[in-house]
Amino acid sequence: MLSILTEAAVGSFNSVKQIAFIVIPIMVVMEILKDIGIIDKIARLFSPIVKIYGMKKEVGFPLVVGIVLGLSYGAGIIMQAAEDYKISRRDLYLLTYFLSTAHAIFEDTAVFMVFGVNGPVLLITRFTAAAIFTYIASRWMKSDTPFLEYEVTN
Amino acid sequence: MLNKGLSLNTLKRGFISGLKITWQLSKILVPVYFIVTILKHTPIINWISTGFAPLMKLFGLPGKAAIVLVMGNVVNLYAAIGAIASLDLSIREIYILAIMLSFCHSLLVETAIAKKIGLSAIKVIAVRMALAVVFGIAFNLIL
Repeated sequence: MLSILTEAAVGSFNSVKQIAFIVIPIMVVMEILKDIGIIDKIARLFSPIVKIYGMKKEVGFPLVVGIVLGLSYGAGIIMQAAEDYKISRRDLYLLTYFLSTAHAIFEDTAVFMVFGVNGPVLLITRFTAAAIFTYIASRWMKSDTPFLEYEVTN
Repeated sequence: MLNKGLSLNTLKRGFISGLKITWQLSKILVPVYFIVTILKHTPIINWISTGFAPLMKLFGLPGKAAIVLVMGNVVNLYAAIGAIASLDLSIREIYILAIMLSFCHSLLVETAIAKKIGLSAIKVIAVRMALAVVFGIAFNLIL
């Protein structure tokens, strides 16, 4: 029994150490990207892209925030943006569809890279699937459906 | 709000948030690692392995990989990482698990958040599980 516990203690300590070595540098880089305004720039880049989904161009900002920061941290910003920009119910649905498939993509990818998984492949797969899936959903959800005209500000 | 300009604070914040993630992760990873390691030395692991083998075979995974998927979906990714670390899985198997889990994880917490934003919980879970299954099968065929 003691050898089992030692095995678990040593193994879990090594895993935590490995994770710290990968996650901390990635988070530092992410803070740098945030502070030099890259997220704002990417959000602007996304503005024409969200139009493909028939969304308002302002949805680009909460979309990028969610993709980078994740659902837990991003939810507050998403709700705030929904109110500020009067994002329609339909756009909010599509936004959340996209985000529930691809969110916190750097953090999630970083933890798997610990085991030697190729980060970019994981990232691109997830991103592409989210984009395609959201596109299908956007065709499905006609903007003139009465139920979807409801505005979040209510 | 996101554009504050670069300073020493930036690095500090990055370092602290990295430490925080590592700490959050450790709190879950360590107990899961212990549980799975102990489980590995009991017959239970064999029951799980044989019981889930037919289902997991779809994704090119051994039966015991079911533990990783359950941990990742019921608890969170960190728990799944703990399980991956303590089970002896090949890099190919970890790849497939990573793809499946990146689409579908932390269902309890994240579905609650999606619901708060206004989405139907069942739809979100159905879509995410479907993506995980489809990509799991696809990566098993491709890799």
